[in-house]
Parts: sequence; structure tokens; C-alpha cells
Amino acid sequence: MATTITIDPVTRIEGHLKLEVTADYVGGRQQVVDARAAGTLFRGFETILSGRDPFDAPDITARICGVCPTPHNQAAVAALDAAMGIEVPDNARLLRNLVLAADFLHSHILHFYQLAVLDFIEPPAMAPWTRGWTGDTRIDSATSASLVEHYVAALDARRKAHEMGAVFGGRLPHTAAFVGGGFTGTPTAARILQFRAYAAEVVAFVRDVYLPDVDAIAATYGDYFQIGAGPRNLLAFGCFEEDATGADKLLPRGRLAAGSATVAPVDVQDVTEDVAGSWYTGKNGVNPRSGTTSPTYPKANAYSWLKSPRYGTRVYEVGPLARMRVSGDYAGGVSVMDRHVARAAEAMKIGLALERWLDQLDPSAPLFADGALPESASGIGLTEAPRGALGHWLTVSNRTISRYQIVTPTCWNASPRDARGVRGALEQALVGTPVQHAEQPIEVLRVVHSFDPCLSCAVHVMRPGAGTPVSVLRGGAWASRAAALAYR
Amino acid sequence: MNTTRRDFIRYCGMSAATLGLTVTDLLRLGEVLANPNGPSVLWLQGSACTGCSVSLLNRVSSQAPVTAGDLLINSINLEYHPNLMTASGVSAVEALDAAYARGGYVLAVEGGVPTAFGGAAGWAMTDASGHEVTIAEAVRKYGARAGAIISMGTCASWGGIPASGSNPAGIRSVGSFLGKPTVNVGGCPPHPDWMVWPIVQLLLNKPIATDSFGRPTGVFKTKVHERCPLKERDEAKYWGQPQRCLKSLGCRGPEAVAPCPTQRWNNGVNFCAEAGAPCLNCTSATFPGRNAFHKFPG
Repeated sequence: MATTITIDPVTRIEGHLKLEVTADYVGGRQQVVDARAAGTLFRGFETILSGRDPFDAPDITARICGVCPTPHNQAAVAALDAAMGIEVPDNARLLRNLVLAADFLHSHILHFYQLAVLDFIEPPAMAPWTRGWTGDTRIDSATSASLVEHYVAALDARRKAHEMGAVFGGRLPHTAAFVGGGFTGTPTAARILQFRAYAAEVVAFVRDVYLPDVDAIAATYGDYFQIGAGPRNLLAFGCFEEDATGADKLLPRGRLAAGSATVAPVDVQDVTEDVAGSWYTGKNGVNPRSGTTSPTYPKANAYSWLKSPRYGTRVYEVGPLARMRVSGDYAGGVSVMDRHVARAAEAMKIGLALERWLDQLDPSAPLFADGALPESASGIGLTEAPRGALGHWLTVSNRTISRYQIVTPTCWNASPRDARGVRGALEQALVGTPVQHAEQPIEVLRVVHSFDPCLSCAVHVMRPGAGTPVSVLRGGAWASRAAALAYR
Repeated sequence: MNTTRRDFIRYCGMSAATLGLTVTDLLRLGEVLANPNGPSVLWLQGSACTGCSVSLLNRVSSQAPVTAGDLLINSINLEYHPNLMTASGVSAVEALDAAYARGGYVLAVEGGVPTAFGGAAGWAMTDASGHEVTIAEAVRKYGARAGAIISMGTCASWGGIPASGSNPAGIRSVGSFLGKPTVNVGGCPPHPDWMVWPIVQLLLNKPIATDSFGRPTGVFKTKVHERCPLKERDEAKYWGQPQRCLKSLGCRGPEAVAPCPTQRWNNGVNFCAEAGAPCLNCTSATFPGRNAFHKFPG
């Protein structure tokens, strides 16, 4: 008999997410047969920006998310730079990269230890870790205890990643140093040295603690390489510009359609948004350049405050796995555990780029390109947040913002059904997930957390029916292997 | 994990001057924290970005001096925090309701209260009966049996950025929504020490003096510009000129009340103006305001 359970709030994510999952027996095995993911908060940043000074956008949009504010700073300044038609000086590009990288490192570490790992271990029996659900904890007690210790060490490491970002950014979260045309903080020799010292510590944590811990979880829960695939279409806007034009990026732009081995180009005109399953009125299939944000509640067939971004008409997954697959650094599949492994490997890849960017800084070179913003202009800023592709679409009329549309990674991943009735990526990833206890589906949390959803931001999946062998990988140094690929 | 309670007291001891604590206070704090049934903190999130919670984590350290995060993670019973707690769904709501039944907890609210669409602009949770609890309902319910309510950050205190412009989600501050004053810890986000300060005062049963905006005067007493090391410098004319006063670029330091220049951010590493970034006056009741943040002279 089918059981439907509501998980609300889904904790250990950013923002407000409600899940409704239905579990039933298929081929003698209980599994998720349907899922609805609902973003339960409307804030209307796009409306708030309307009428403001365009140069306010970086500081306003950062407040979309306190966990990943810097990607919004970056997307907003990229949109402003484009609207002004300028390329920023190398120093500004490098400082933006460095502060953005600090935010990525803080976020990836926070995600694994504070948000995700508690789904796999025996947590301490005290608030706020008191366990709600039991079942399927397979990790041995020594490893579990060591992961609890690393939970505390990770708090330290992620704090230091933020301190590293503050060296140039002034403070984190919510740096005020990203400005259209450049960057405000000067890279003095002393500051470069200070950043370098932090970088060494944070990278050592990623290499010596984070990567081995992901290996340990992956070795014990190897079946999760077969669970939570989703649409298997992967999309990356790319980030960390390596030259003034932005054509060369540390993590390149591209997309991989399910089953394809060839990275295809991304045409930004093919990004569309549906509102069929969302509490907004408007047309479906609209490019954000002409998108609107008109909240309407209640509305028939709608169940989320998230819109449904699509590439053409297709559902795509975004995030570290998409980036590392597109870049060719990761050769695995698409699953819960592939997401964790790719995220850790990406942390290492970014960590190792810091030294090079620091070396390229020139304390005496300019930080700012003097450009004029026309009375009327438009610009698109594409970048990546730790949890996936992020885009800002800016339109300026009479020197003020007349339209601002933001497509966040979690809209890509946690979107509701679109105009064709197709489930979003997370919803798809959940369908087919085996569930031991339908009332306490810890397996569902594992799938959700693998996406690192930020709300403040599968039947198509193979159903593992009877006779489908689930291979359990043992002892494989997955993260380390992926990391080795990353800096080959 | 038990040693961390002692570590927290040690932190308070080492920071006694900044936190305004006496030796007697420290002894009493030791008694309060030694009580296993002692102070519960519930942390609700409204129309927030989680930035306040993340800023709070920026004071967590596994070594002495153990810091602000230990107050909330280790040293008190943080029975509900959506980002940090292990339990999800109904199990999470049960933890919240158990504390509610006992009453007398400290309620920390991050983010304002969305009231648009009858409160449907924001839900906090679904309870065991299947009722979708709006953020507005949750703040009203859990506010009713709280021993004290702290508005963490500018959004909970006065609405902040989500309430600006046309205020599309009908955001109200916690205090105006409940019709009673709250302790308002300004800042977008607040410095972690500003969030710890009122919690420590409450644990010690000490009164919290506030200014006319509800901000604790123990924290918010001086203007940023008055203490800014750059105030006597030449004024910057464009971005990226090191060690200049930023007034002509729109710095709001002369109006802003906050100890940033002396306390500094991220473990003392820096603060906005020192990174060449103008103060946005994010601790103010009117943040972000309608005017542009930046000016471009000449």
C-alpha cells in the first residue's frame, strides 16, 4: 500500500523546503514512486530591485543567500560590467576569483560536515544533533566518532575559509567589495601573505580530512552510487575567469546531455522558465531576459514558490558534479555519492588554483575600469554558486533597474513540475529511491542533501526492480581518485 | 562534547571586558550552564537568507577561546535550528513543541515575518496533523511562551532588504508583528559577538538596555565613522584607492551605529571600509533605504 509522507521542514539545507514523497512496493521492494518538492518562501528580490540604482544590485542580491552570497555579488557585477561594455582589470578579476573561491570552500566544507554527513553516522545524543530517525546506519563506531570530531574541525576550517575571503573582501558573509567595474580591496603584499597562509590551512583540511572522509562514506555506502540519478542532463555556466574576456575559465561552461560523452555549448537564449507548477502568473518557456515575477496564490496545480528553469524544454541538473563532469575532471556517473565525491574533488581543484591567482596579483596595478553605464542598457551575468549555475539578467532604463531576473541553482535542481508535467531534477532523483521505513525515510534525506539545496535559493531514473543487481563498491578511494584526476 | 560548556565559560572569562561581565556574572553563568535542563534556545527562520546563522558560525572554534557558536551549539540546548539540527519533518516539529510545552525558552528569530497571501508567502513547517504552519503563525505561537525574544539581524528587527521597495511579501518585523518590543540585534548580518551578547545577558538574568530602535546599547553605542581609522585621510575619488576615507563614494559610516572599526570582522581580519568598501549602514532600522549605496564624485 502506498504511503505518503510530508517532510517539512527539510532541515540541514539553506532555506525553506517541503517534500511530499509517496513510497510503495515495486517488484517486491519499497521505494519512492512520486515526489513533490516545494519552495515555501516568497521574497520577491526581483521586484525589490526594480527602480533601484543598478550599482546597488551586487549588495542587494548578495542577501538572497547568506551561505552563498558571493556568487550573487559576482553575477551582479558581471551583469553590470556587460551593461557597461567593459572588461575589468586583471587584479579585479583575480580578487573576485579569490573571494568567490573562499566562499566555495566554506560552503563545500559546511555542506559535507554540517549538512550532509549526519545522514550517514551516529550523531551525539544532544541538541541539536538528537536523532529523529533511525535505521540504515552502517558505518562502524570508530569511523562515526572520527567524523563527529571532524564535524567540529570542519567548523574551524570553514570559518577560516571565510576569514580568508575577508582578507580582500572586508568581511563575510556579505562582502561589500564587489563593485561594477572592479573591486575595492587593495592586494597589498601583507594581505597576499595573509591570504596565502589561510589558503594553506584550508587546502590542507580538504586534502587530509575532507577527501578521506568522503572516501570512507563512499566505501561504506557504495550502493548510493546507484541511487538518486535524476535527469542525468548536466549544465554548467562555469566560473573563475582565467582571462580578461572570461572565455577561459577554471571550471568551464558547457552541458552534457544524458548518455552523451560530448560536451555541448550553452546558448543562453535556450534558458527558459516555466511557472506552471509555481505560484506565479505568466507565460511558460520564457527567457529570463523578458521574464516577470507576478506572485499569485492560490493557483491551480501550483505547489511551489520556485519557478522551473529548463534548457530548451529539458530538465538539467546543476552543481559541482555537473561542473566536474563538464570540465572532464570527474569521470563517474550521476548519483548521490557521485555528487559528494565530485564536490570534494572540486574543493581541492579550487584550493590548488588559489596560489596561482595570488601569484598573478600586482599590488600596484589598477582595480577598477572606469566605464559609463548608458541610460538604457542590459547585461547578463553568468557564474556558478557552490550548488550550481547562477544567472542574473539586468535591464536598465533611465539609469535605474527596470527589470532584474535571477535564476538560481536550486531552481534548476528543486523546481516543481513544468508545463509539460515533467518533474524537476530533485523530484526525478527521488523517484526510485529504495526506502526501508516509509515513515522515516532517511534515504530521501540522503538524496536531497546530495544536491546541497539552497532554497533561500526517478522513474526516468532506473527503478531498481527485482533482479537489478546493485553493485556495492568497497574500499575504493573515490574522492582521492577524482581529486587526482583534477590536478593531473 | 561536555567540555565545551566549560570552554564557553572560559571564552566568556577571556572576553569578559568586551561582553561586560563581572566575576560574579561568570560564576553565575557557570551555574546556569551546569544545569542539564537549562536554557533552551529555539531559532526560527522567517524571511531570511541564513546569513545571520552563518555569521554566528564564524566564531566557532575547536580550540580556546571557544566562542559564540558554542553558546548555541554546545553550551545551551539549541533544540530547534533548521540548518543545524539532525531531525527533519515531524521529528523536528516535535522537538520544537516539546520546548514550547515547557515554555520559558529564548526565542531567536532570523528574518522578518511574511504576511502576504494570508501568510502563505512563507511556511515554517507542517505539523503532525498535516497543518501547514505559516511563519507568521509560528512566530506568534512560539513567541507566546518564550521567556525572551531576540530579533537576530536587521530583517527580524525591522524588515531589512526583503521589506524594502514595494515590500512584495508583506514583511513585518517580529516586534511590530507581535506588538511587543524585542531585543533587536541589527546587522546584515550581525557580527557574531553582537548575537552572543544578549543571550549571555539573558542567561544571567541581567536587564538589556536598548536604544530607541531596540538595539542593545551594550553593543551599539558608537558611530562607525567616529572610530574609523580612515576618517582623517584624503577622500577616495574612485574604487581601489588604498587607505582613503570613503565618504565621497557614499560611505554611510557617519550615520551608522556599530563597533565594526574596533571589533573588526571574521576573527579580527578586516572590516568593510578597510577593504575599500563603503559602510552600507546595515545595522540601521532603515537599511537598505531607497537611495543608492554608492556615489560617484566628479
